[in-house]
Amino acid sequence: MADEASEERRFTAMYDECRQRVWAYAASRAGRQAADEVVSETFAVAWRRFRDVPDPPLPWLLGVARNVLRESHRAQVRRESFAAELSRWAPPPGGDIAEDVAERLAVVRAMAALPEDDREILILVAWQGLAPREAARVVGCSAAALRVRLHRARRRLVRAVEEPRAAGEEKGSAASRSQVGIIREERA
Amino acid sequence: MSDILRTLREARPEELAPDLPVAEDVRRAELAHAMASRPVGGRARARRSVRPVWGLGAVGLAGAVAAALVAVNVPADGEPGAPAAQPATARTVLLAAAGKADGRPDGTGAFWHVATVSSMAHQVSTGGVRYTVVDRQRHETWTPGRPGAKIRADVQNLGARPATAKDEAAWRRAGAPARFEIRVPIGPNSTVTKTFVTSVKQGPVRRGTSPRPGDGKLFWLGRNVGVKELRALPADPARLRAGLLRWYDGRDTESGAPMSRDAWLYRVASGLVTDMPVAPKVRAAAFRMLADLPRVRSLGRVTDAQGRTGLGVGLDEKTRAGLVLHRLVIDPATGGALAGERVLVRPAAGEGRAPGTVLGSTAVLTAAWTDAVR
Repeated sequence: MADEASEERRFTAMYDECRQRVWAYAASRAGRQAADEVVSETFAVAWRRFRDVPDPPLPWLLGVARNVLRESHRAQVRRESFAAELSRWAPPPGGDIAEDVAERLAVVRAMAALPEDDREILILVAWQGLAPREAARVVGCSAAALRVRLHRARRRLVRAVEEPRAAGEEKGSAASRSQVGIIREERA
Repeated sequence: MSDILRTLREARPEELAPDLPVAEDVRRAELAHAMASRPVGGRARARRSVRPVWGLGAVGLAGAVAAALVAVNVPADGEPGAPAAQPATARTVLLAAAGKADGRPDGTGAFWHVATVSSMAHQVSTGGVRYTVVDRQRHETWTPGRPGAKIRADVQNLGARPATAKDEAAWRRAGAPARFEIRVPIGPNSTVTKTFVTSVKQGPVRRGTSPRPGDGKLFWLGRNVGVKELRALPADPARLRAGLLRWYDGRDTESGAPMSRDAWLYRVASGLVTDMPVAPKVRAAAFRMLADLPRVRSLGRVTDAQGRTGLGVGLDEKTRAGLVLHRLVIDPATGGALAGERVLVRPAAGEGRAPGTVLGSTAVLTAAWTDAVR
């Protein structure tokens, strides 16, 4: 198998290894539709700069995805898309569900109430499973700074879980129950 | 508070799981989109755009044939495909092609339409039986002559099949599987491999458009160029050569490894004579330039992967797989290049594929201007 055409194979292998994670990162920040576009653009950039891609490639790819997302989707659009996805991920409380399930849903809903920067770091660490050092590479800060930011984000998340309406960053971001309900009806 | 992250981890929506499978059509489309994008930036980083290995349609395929034609100066001794009769010299073949190209009319149309069939030979192993399969894809692209319009690119996986009768016998011994697993490393220097699956079945045509042709510089000429630059190339071989060589810095644009001037020119010019939208007189100039490269050798009559016969010229390269011949199959009737192919001349130790195996081939079915996008 060893011949020079392997660059394409390596790229394809990297794609297979990381694609879904890049997609999940973008989807968790701006919804599924944006994620499709972001993935497409991210790997186009990765191909053009394949030789610059470090090992492991994931933090680098997420960093590219992050830039693509920022350039192509305005903050408000990202927020609204996130709120829309939230209605699928964590429907409003109600019904007879186990306590631990209810707790998880409450945490996801609380994510919507956080400032986007907090949410991003929590997504990278908790949902993407990145080490602080890797997450720091994605957002472009030092590992020390990331730990501080993570600490604060966690604290704000705890508060948002405890006081669902208190932690809203700005209007529209806290996907309140009524909003989520409306979104769900529209999607149905 | 220490539990909040764990709860959050557990609360991750299922659709955000990192190990969810990607739909095959999505995968193909995204890989095609990615690999269709041309390299950007300085020439040290310039890299030719290539057709994705896994049967993905490249947008703006012109120049992709050049990808199949990497060349390095290695003394030639193997002569695969060469007939017993003494062939015309490579120079004669190439000058004749130039003469034919000179007389061809330049087409008109809004789109440069290229249809190709590419094939790659892979070694697979089923239940301990090793054999070679050839995976084929059809690619069709319409590249707008003017910037702004979208690029259309269709791809169809034509399916994989055993390379030779011997491979077919081995495949039958292995139970004639309909799917093949191919292992490749996941990183440039990685020993970790990843498995890909290809099937014997022909797939549907996947239609794609590229919403972002970028700066329109979709073709690779040792640097990124657009249709405009290609149309402005000189028809004088010496000027063409000098113009191209301004981008040569002693290295292979692909690997950064040292590469001779002639090998580099062979590679770049190969794209010009196959499927790039250049004027016929420029294609003729590229043939004349190739005719002046001393290491290019004549192969006599050869048959391309599509079964079409033409006159072959080629240049050898030493690779990890062994000595590989980069050959161009030229249609003597039209002066056009039918295919760019890589042929394994002398396999390296441990290389499972047999001498004479066509490792990769890009056969050009159409390369012409048109107004009709199907």
